[in-house]
Amino acid sequence: MGQLFMPLHDLFDYVANLESSIALRESQYVWSLFEVAHVISMCLFAGLIIMMDLRLLGIGNMQSPFSQLQKRLFPWQMVGMTFSAITGFVLVFGDPMRFYANIFFWMKILIMVIAAVNAMAFHYITYFSVDSWDSKTPPFGAKLAGALGVLLWAFVIVSGRLIPYNWFQNT
Amino acid sequence: MLEPFFMWLNNLAVSKAIGESIWIFPLVQAIHLVFLALFAGALLIVDLRLMGLGMREQSVAKIARDARPWMILGFVGLVLTGTPQLMQNAMREYFSDFFWIKMYVLPIALIYTFTIRQKVAMADEARVGPTWSKLVGLASILLWIGGVAIPSRLIGLFT
Repeated sequence: MGQLFMPLHDLFDYVANLESSIALRESQYVWSLFEVAHVISMCLFAGLIIMMDLRLLGIGNMQSPFSQLQKRLFPWQMVGMTFSAITGFVLVFGDPMRFYANIFFWMKILIMVIAAVNAMAFHYITYFSVDSWDSKTPPFGAKLAGALGVLLWAFVIVSGRLIPYNWFQNT
Repeated sequence: MLEPFFMWLNNLAVSKAIGESIWIFPLVQAIHLVFLALFAGALLIVDLRLMGLGMREQSVAKIARDARPWMILGFVGLVLTGTPQLMQNAMREYFSDFFWIKMYVLPIALIYTFTIRQKVAMADEARVGPTWSKLVGLASILLWIGGVAIPSRLIGLFT
């Protein structure tokens, strides 16, 4: 099992020894700047995702047709996601070994993948029937996608915030 | 002036108990962020619309009315999860400039949101005009994100 992760370990280890990576983790201000930017871009991304999911659940933003939330919020969600991804990537780049050995980091990655699958499944399966429920309470499939969306992204946020607490790290 | 109060808060049995548990504080901190996302979503959907962006086909009033209960819920959640963090860290927060920036801007942002922003969001859009509308939305983002959220994150990073 350990063997399986060796290439990944080597990659993280290689990055950790790059001069730019060392500089980043030793610079308190630059590092903090990216931490702050990561949280703010998360607000834009997760915040507007939640607004859409509440509409899917039939409990929020009910005066707007779903297709409008989807069309008008999507570009902003993508802006938020892009900045979250860039700032998150830089943070991992700056301290790779800390993340490599962190269970919450891998949990976060895994849950993000599941959240992405949930979004894709909704988009390619349930969304095509949007015309019949656009201005009404959505059908079960859409509600399920909305509930999963809120829960999964909440878990992504929680596991992200728990990364500094290394309860399970064996050093 | 408030030092005795913060000292008292710091030394409460509950505050000590929160500090002694290894998981209560981190978990409260994490849930605080989930409520932040909810609050920010309900805030930004309206502010973007005020600025002529985002949900452009809908009236500001419709979007603001729909977003309001979720913004209030998010805010209540933030206060409920913020208080134990303050209690456990009372003295450290007392000596943090960022904490005080947050505490001064917070009531301003709150009053602004429930007076000016609320009035403009509910008013006839033609009467308000796009320029004022944009300014009101921008000021809301600056107050909440620039004045409250960013200093909050900085409390923990610089002490």
